Order: sequence, then structure tokens, then C-alpha cells
Amino acid sequence: METVLSIQKLTKNFGKLCAVNNLDLEVKKGQVFGMLGPNGSGKTTTLGMLMGVVNPTSGSFSWFGEPASHLTRKKIGAVLEHPIFYPYLSGQKNLELNAMIKGADPGNIPKVLETVELTARKDDKFRTYSLGMKQRLAIASALVSDPIILILDEPTNGLDPMGIAEIREIIKKIAADGKTIILASHLLDEVQKVCTHFAVLKRGTLMHTGPVDDVGKGEELVEVQAYHDDLGVLLQEFMGSASIKKENGLFQVMMKDGYHSKDLNRFLFDKGIVASHLATRKKSLEKQFLEILSDAGHHG
Amino acid sequence: MLHLLKIDLKKMTSYRTFWVICGLYFLTLGFTTASGMEILKWLASKGAEFGASININRVPLYHFPDIWQNLIWISGLFKIVLAVMVVISITNEYQYRTIRQNIIDGMSRWEFLQSKILTNVMLSLMSVLMILSIALFTGFIYTPKIEWDYFLVGSEFFVAYFLEIFAFLSYALMLGILVQRSGLTIVLLMLSHMIEAIIKLNIFRSSVEDQIGFLKQFFPLESITNLVPLPFARYAFQEIQDYVALTAVAIAIGWTVLFNYFAYLKLRKSDI
Repeated sequence: METVLSIQKLTKNFGKLCAVNNLDLEVKKGQVFGMLGPNGSGKTTTLGMLMGVVNPTSGSFSWFGEPASHLTRKKIGAVLEHPIFYPYLSGQKNLELNAMIKGADPGNIPKVLETVELTARKDDKFRTYSLGMKQRLAIASALVSDPIILILDEPTNGLDPMGIAEIREIIKKIAADGKTIILASHLLDEVQKVCTHFAVLKRGTLMHTGPVDDVGKGEELVEVQAYHDDLGVLLQEFMGSASIKKENGLFQVMMKDGYHSKDLNRFLFDKGIVASHLATRKKSLEKQFLEILSDAGHHG
Repeated sequence: MLHLLKIDLKKMTSYRTFWVICGLYFLTLGFTTASGMEILKWLASKGAEFGASININRVPLYHFPDIWQNLIWISGLFKIVLAVMVVISITNEYQYRTIRQNIIDGMSRWEFLQSKILTNVMLSLMSVLMILSIALFTGFIYTPKIEWDYFLVGSEFFVAYFLEIFAFLSYALMLGILVQRSGLTIVLLMLSHMIEAIIKLNIFRSSVEDQIGFLKQFFPLESITNLVPLPFARYAFQEIQDYVALTAVAIAIGWTVLFNYFAYLKLRKSDI
């Protein structure tokens, strides 16, 4: 697959603080790439360097295989941190300005306003917008040049659940159009729901990168409950259980390789027990994320 | 180039503060320069009440070719208003962080600076055109007998006037980019002449004045002031400099280039 973004040994120091440390990363065409990390892990600084507003201390990166310049930036739609617009200009005028800078066709403006459902408020001044509308206008401005790649930094920050769902729908819609998206977030659930690939940063260092689908591969976790007093003891006898934990009144059995929930079910049935609850849980990105971060803690 | 100017104008033309300040600037500039003769008449009538007679025809403020330098010198006093507008324009970009989004959207830092410089050029040219038309208009009204041979003497002051405005706006732009906060930048802008005067006082003590006094003209704000010398002393029978000094032009151009270059250096180096 075609490489859209390639980062080599990118580093940024702010005085003594190393915000981004020797970062190597590749993003391929069509990926929805999630950048995860706690607050202050260097996500925004990395994106700032990619978008030319932060000067790298060392290292390099290339977009579409070309060395980065302001011309390559015109092909990218990006919103870093908060939505930034001229407060005294209307949404429409702000987008016209974005289009002028990007050299985009202003004829795209009605279409992108429609995508983010702001058409009705387009002539109101930006400063009168609610936070959700500001975020949506930011996405509209990123889309106005019909970019090949979209960069969104915490696009759902500070939104209510409905606003979050709206933005998520917009992102999925854009991804379905075949655009490459880089999404920085500390919301794991968000990344798991919309991303195809992800990377984890911690204090500026890359801890992990890979496809989201790989998360939860390997061990299987089965939740089980039954009306039996010694279920915990009984489960120990099951050959497939690697470990057993009780949480919220349910037993969580970590399965050994090659064992699945149906094996556990048969085991219980043979013992004359009928499970009242039996569910396979994929390991959530949150778990994996916390594991990655704590592993890092042990090594570092 | 034109595209960059359009971008900056797009930011300003829906901004009410821009219209208010520019409106005030061009109105006061226009009224002041056009009504000098009326003021003079008023002074004469007041003087008559106290028994002092002033013959205003002996003060050919608005006669060709005196009018060029007279009006241009007066107009130069108003450039601070325009400079405040420039400061607001650039510090807004920092305050709203829109400079960051402009760069993200695909402007280079140099293009961003260019768009601001081009607006400065435009504002300077508009000032020149305004004073040129007022001078022509009032000149034809008040000059009793136009001597065409001398008509254009001193009109080179328009070049100096353009440079005076543009150099000062470049200074204001640089200050805005270095300081980034509107209030502080405006105070510094207002105090600049005074600060420079104090520095000069301390360097050029009377003991050394004779040897190094000529260095004064190389100071940035003095170099801008030197472009158009005060003309009115000629009506008190004193000799004045009624031409544009080439050294003054050269020094002012030098500073203008430096102001914009410093602004560029600061923009290029900083994280936005």
C-alpha cells in the first residue's frame, strides 16, 4: 500500500523537556490511524511538527514521499487542538478564507457545511457558536480543500455525548470515502470504534504501533456465572483456564491457547451445571493500552 | 502576490475595528490637511481682536510648490494611528492563534509575513494618494497664480512620504511580531520616540557631540523623521531643508529592510 506519511527519528526538545523522542512512524493510504497517549505524551507536538507550526529539533518526515513544505500542507486538512477561527467573521467567511489559503474551490463550501450540518448557522459570527458547532466548523474547514488526508486532534474534546456521537459519525462517513485519517485522542473507546490502526505514545516515545484488529487476539476472556456455591473452585479444574478472577459477581476466566467458551460450557455441562451467564470478551483497547503503558513503566 | 494581499484584506474587511480606525485616520487626515487655510484665517481674526495683524497672504501654506512639503509634513504626524491598526492586525493573529491555523492550512511563514507587508504597502499608497489629491485640490483653490515652471518642485516629497509611512508601519509590524501582545506593543510604539531620544541624550553628551553627532541620523526613528524636514520655519525667515536628502532615504530604506527582516527571522525561528 502507498505510504502517505513517513516519519524518521523525529525529535523535539523544549529546553530540557523532551516532548517527542526519536519517533519513527508510517501511515499508509486509507488507514484511519489513531494516535493514543495520555495528556502531555507528545501527540499534539508531533502533529504540530508535521503541520509546520513547530520546528523539529532533529529528524525528518515526508508526506506522499515528498519532503514537507507549505505546498504539501495544502493537500492536508488539519485541526490541531482547539478549533481556530477569526471570531468576528462568520462561519462562511472563515471557510472562504481557509479555501483562499489552501487554493481550494470555494464552491466546496456549501457541501462541507452540509456535511457538518452547519448550513443554517453559516452567516452567524464564529464567536456565537457553541463548542460543538466550533468543532464541526473545524472539521468543515479541514474538508474544504477535499484533502487526501485528514488530521484531527481530540475532535470530541469537551463535547456532550450527542456531540461526540455526531463527530464520530462524520469521521466514519469521511473514512468511508477512502480518505486517510490521523486521529489523536486520549479516548481509547473512540479510537477502537473508528480506527483501523493505532500507535501509543508515552512521554514522547513510541510504545506500540499496529492494527486495531490485533487487539484482543490471542487470549480469550470468558465471563461466566452459574447457580453453584463452589463455582470458583470448580473452574480451577477446567483444563483450559489460565487464570480466574471474580469481578462484579462474575467469574472471568482467561483461556489458554486453543480453548474457547464452548469448551468451558461443555465442561460445566458435564459437571451437571448450567451456566446462567456466559460471554466472550475481547480484550479492550483500554486494557491493552494500560498494559502497554505499564510495561513501559517497568522497563523505563 | 496579489493573492496574499487579498487574503489579508479578507481578514480585515469584515472587522469593524479596522473600518473604525482606518475611517478615523483618513477622515482626520483629510480634514486636517484640507482645512489648514481656514485655521489660519481663524488665527488671523483672533489676532486682529488683540490688535496684531497677520497677513495670511504672507504665509503661502497652500501655494504651489510650498504645499507639497507643508501638507506631507503635517500628514506624517497621523501615521501613528495607522501603525496602531497594523499592531492590532498582527497581534490579533497571535491572540486568536489564527497565525497557527494559517500556517497549518498551507501558508509558508514568509507568505504570511508578505501578506502583512503588502497590506502595509497598500495603506501607505492610499495615504500618498489621499494627500496628493488633497494637495492638488486645495493648491488649485488657494494658489493665486500658478507658476507651472515651479509647480512640481518638491513633489519628490511624496516618495519620502511613502517611505516614511511604510517604514513606520514596518516598525509597528516587527514590534507586534516580537511582542505579540496588543496592549504592550501599542504602549511601546507610543514610547518609541521618547525611548530613542533618551538613548541619544545619553550617548551624545555635549563633550562628544561634535565628534560623533553625525551618528544621530542613523537611529531608526530619527531616520524616519528625517525624510520630511519641518518646513514651517521658512515663514519665519529661516533657512529650511526643502529637498529630500538622499542619505536620509538610504538610511530609512536600510531600516525598513531590517525591520521586515527581523520580523521574518523571529517568525521563522519560533514555534507558533
